[in-house]
Amino acid sequence: MNATAVLRSEWIKITTLRGTVWSLACVLLVTAGFGILASTAQGGAEVDGDFDPLFSVLTGVGPGQIAAIVFGTLAVSSEYQSGLIRATLAAVPRRGLLYAAKLAHVGGLTFAVALPTTLLSFLVGGAALGDRALGLGDDHALLGVVGGAVYLTLMALLAAGLAAVLRSGIAVLGILIPFVLVVSMVLGVGSSAGFADYLPDRAGQQVLFADPPTDVPPLAGLAVTALWAGAAVLAGWWTLRRRDA
Amino acid sequence: MTAATAIEVSRLTKDYGDVRALDAVTFTVRPGRVTGFLGPNGAGKSTAMRLVLGLDRPTAGTATVGGRPYAELSDPLRHVGALLDAQAAHGSRSGRAHLRALAASNGLPDARVAEVLRLTGIESAAGRRVRTYSLGMRQRLGIAAALLGDPPVLLLDEPSNGLDPEGIVWIRKLLRRLAGEGRTVLVSSHLMAETAAFADHLVVLGRGRLLADSPLAEFVEGRADLEEAYLRLTASAAEFTSGTGEV
Repeated sequence: MNATAVLRSEWIKITTLRGTVWSLACVLLVTAGFGILASTAQGGAEVDGDFDPLFSVLTGVGPGQIAAIVFGTLAVSSEYQSGLIRATLAAVPRRGLLYAAKLAHVGGLTFAVALPTTLLSFLVGGAALGDRALGLGDDHALLGVVGGAVYLTLMALLAAGLAAVLRSGIAVLGILIPFVLVVSMVLGVGSSAGFADYLPDRAGQQVLFADPPTDVPPLAGLAVTALWAGAAVLAGWWTLRRRDA
Repeated sequence: MTAATAIEVSRLTKDYGDVRALDAVTFTVRPGRVTGFLGPNGAGKSTAMRLVLGLDRPTAGTATVGGRPYAELSDPLRHVGALLDAQAAHGSRSGRAHLRALAASNGLPDARVAEVLRLTGIESAAGRRVRTYSLGMRQRLGIAAALLGDPPVLLLDEPSNGLDPEGIVWIRKLLRRLAGEGRTVLVSSHLMAETAAFADHLVVLGRGRLLADSPLAEFVEGRADLEEAYLRLTASAAEFTSGTGEV
């Protein structure tokens, strides 16, 4: 039983399910699509006070994270459909190794797709913005491109960890998608705003702005998201190790 | 394939919450014969199999294969092949992809996948999604997965379930051949006539306890057939534990 063999096995699993392959493709399509559309719309518009040249091109990371969450969820929850996990664990009884191999692919593949995606959004969206666009050498620009990809990767890992805890794709998506679409936005206004700045999505998205909306510095925000993802991954590992299959 | 491949279960106990699914059960499954694993629903057969495979944690006692806990086997598919649940494949994956993923984890070549597909007669359906398979085909896919590593030990939970008459004859011959090759074969079933046709030895559980561990001929002696002998034994077991009879 070696790590290479288990990694190969997990690679076959992820690449032979339509759901995982499509959700990963959607990370690119949705993120780049929304970023480019938004920038094109703003390219001809009047400059208003809210305009942020970095967030304008990376705005697709918001909707794109749904695809990343779905990918991370399916990569793990597909084991729990129809008792497949028992066949999997009979083949790979070292549960820590199995989990690490799975998450390595979730993280690696998400980042491998997300980085070209944010770069593409930046370049094509920037071209659409015209002379208001940032160059890659400008302050915050490179941090936004790489940080945006790291953010998407962390959200995929957060979802994967949660899927290992809850062992149901529907449960994970039922929690995370409303959370990133609604809950965090609602908590973000009014008296709870200070706390909401440290929610996984709001904190990590600071990196997408040239002029971040909250007081949490971009890298610190990304670190906060990493802590949330790390906690979910650890909880998933603990669950997989402890529970009967 | 010597006695080093026996399955040894010793005082194995498993509680699920307040329910004792398995109560200090001890038996040995020896190589070179087919051992029928019998008992009413809820008797603990599947639980015992899961514990042998290290899928569940025992409350007490031990289960070993060839003297070692399952979790310590390197490339376990080369030591033990198991069919626990014919549904244990993702419906959206093709049968071939399902087997390739399992084979890869134990360093088994894709050529072996092609072999077990041929052996189980589902070659022509290998590229189709498992969702489109009939119960009999899923059963064959599960048996194909169990045979992947050419293992000296096999644990099959109701392998005849869903098979057509041709399939039932095929599985009977397969089990006989595997035991004839000196392998350790443990097969659970609810079909008494079927079990009588392939088993040399019986292990019978009832309400989580061991009721019998004897050669088939000895078990049936003095009764009309295996079914009668089995029903008598398990009925008294239900009385003995004063639970609600399940037989």
